[in-house]
Amino acid sequence: MMQEATPETQGRLSPGIRTARAKSFRKSLRKDSTLYLLALPGIIILILFAYLPMSGLILVFKNYNFNDGIFGSPWAGFSNFEFFFSSMEDSLRATRNTVMLNALYMLTGTFFSVAIAIILNELRSKWFIKITQSVMFFPYFISWIIIGAILFSLLDYDKGIMNQLLQTLGFSQVDWYSSPWLFVIILVLANIWKSAGYGAIIYYAVLQGIDTSYYEAAKIDGASRWQIITKITVPMLIPSIILMTLLGIGGMLKGDLSMIMGVTFLNPLLLPTTDIIDVYVYRTAIRSGEFGFASAITLYQSVFGFILVLVANKLAGWYDKDSKLF
Amino acid sequence: MQTTENKGLLIFFYCCIAVFSIICLVPFILAVSGSLSTESRIAAEGYSFWPRGFTFETYEFLFGSKAQQILRAYSMSVIVTMLGTVSAVLVTTAYAYVISVKSFRLKNFFAFFAYFTMLFSGGTLPWYLLSTKYYHLGDTLIGLFIPYVLSVFLMFLMANYFRSIPHEIVESAQIDGAGHLRIFFSIMIPLGRVGLVTISLFYALQFWNDFYLPLMLVSDQNLYTIQYLMYNMMANIQFLASGNAAQVGGAIIAPPLETAKMAMTCLTVLPIAILYPFLQRFFVKGIIVGSVKG
Repeated sequence: MMQEATPETQGRLSPGIRTARAKSFRKSLRKDSTLYLLALPGIIILILFAYLPMSGLILVFKNYNFNDGIFGSPWAGFSNFEFFFSSMEDSLRATRNTVMLNALYMLTGTFFSVAIAIILNELRSKWFIKITQSVMFFPYFISWIIIGAILFSLLDYDKGIMNQLLQTLGFSQVDWYSSPWLFVIILVLANIWKSAGYGAIIYYAVLQGIDTSYYEAAKIDGASRWQIITKITVPMLIPSIILMTLLGIGGMLKGDLSMIMGVTFLNPLLLPTTDIIDVYVYRTAIRSGEFGFASAITLYQSVFGFILVLVANKLAGWYDKDSKLF
Repeated sequence: MQTTENKGLLIFFYCCIAVFSIICLVPFILAVSGSLSTESRIAAEGYSFWPRGFTFETYEFLFGSKAQQILRAYSMSVIVTMLGTVSAVLVTTAYAYVISVKSFRLKNFFAFFAYFTMLFSGGTLPWYLLSTKYYHLGDTLIGLFIPYVLSVFLMFLMANYFRSIPHEIVESAQIDGAGHLRIFFSIMIPLGRVGLVTISLFYALQFWNDFYLPLMLVSDQNLYTIQYLMYNMMANIQFLASGNAAQVGGAIIAPPLETAKMAMTCLTVLPIAILYPFLQRFFVKGIIVGSVKG
């Protein structure tokens, strides 16, 4: 080891420094071995639950049977894709629902989060801000199952609060759980209820970082509260809004299975609008065992999702070099 | 003129926030009220914001006949949350420390190794098949938390905390002859405790609320967590209510199904509601640090 120094370093370095270098190199190797050890559990988890499932995408070209497993099952060529295209209608419906719901969540969620942050930024009462912020943040901590259960008490046909209210107001009852399009609105509202307060914290933090001299100058110039909001606060938030939106685009094809399961209980009547890709895979593969077919959908989701991430990243890079993800 | 306009707008703002805050709380009042109502009056008159025929019957019923099942699910949730949080925090902080060591050559490689999994995934199906067929996680306790012990997002959050710790402290420890293990356990972890508390809370919440893993991996009733028990109650009642099983559902009114759901809801939210006032500020801090830069 000590003799390892290359000819050119030999000429320049004194023997003492050379041994010191070799020593420090060995020392760092020894130190690094601890680092590898520390990282090892994480690496194993990533390989087991992220990287190996990626390789599991070869299922698309396999005729899966449970006994031979992912890697032992016979090759099937492109027949799974034929399946995929033969039930194009369902696949497209799942894609449309996923993108539609995610786009709606993103639009409404951003709007409400930004609005709440701007309003909080205007308020002066410290205790009011603290209390309301805590309260609005609370639903974020509640699982979709619980939200689903509470929603049921609101929307149940006979016993739900909404229908009681409609009746007292003289309208007829609505069968919420069999109205796919009404349920889109309900999902969107539930999403706002759960996460607007959470999202607001991020934008509120950005607003807290704004130099107060902008506001002081505007006040001296006699700007009204509304003018200050539209001319200073909103423009200040736009970079964060754009960044968050771009980050969201990459996740457009990822659905929240637990949300749909928790809120709709996979009610078949609601599937026309709630059958997102993840639900579709769950229904066809895990419940019905049509693995080859579901794997084609999964591959499609992964590839399309990855392209979306690349596009979003490119857009983020155009907008602002620092916003680029990788 | 100017000031009245400003004042009006300000009052409007206060109202908006107040109303939204109330909306955030109202559903929970509905759940509490439902759980304290009598089943027959809920069946006849529907849910309300004020208990219909104030009673603890439902809780007595749950703790009487269903006590075993609920307690098992409850303790299962507690165990999963504790085991999950402890192992997740260990795995995550260790990995985060490694990529935050400035002198480590492979730190960028390891960072990307984790980051790539955020961009591309194999999807639900291969994950499910590998977990059940190859790792044999079906119906095991370990299966209820092990897939979630490394959240890449929280790992990067933690690495940010570690990077914010002044490098001089680490250097002086190194000069004193401390190895990475020692630096990690006796410097980084104590100094990074705000970050540590934040990610612990996020993990604990995730494990407590999760029902995806039991949904995918569990069929043994002994392994039901409280969320999954809740899901099963909801899904079954839903099926009873929806057409195809109505002939059975109509006759059974013996157990207080409706109020039981609400009572279960309250029991599931209770731990969060109790701890929330104390822990909430850590979450806020955590989000703010996490959102500042990637």
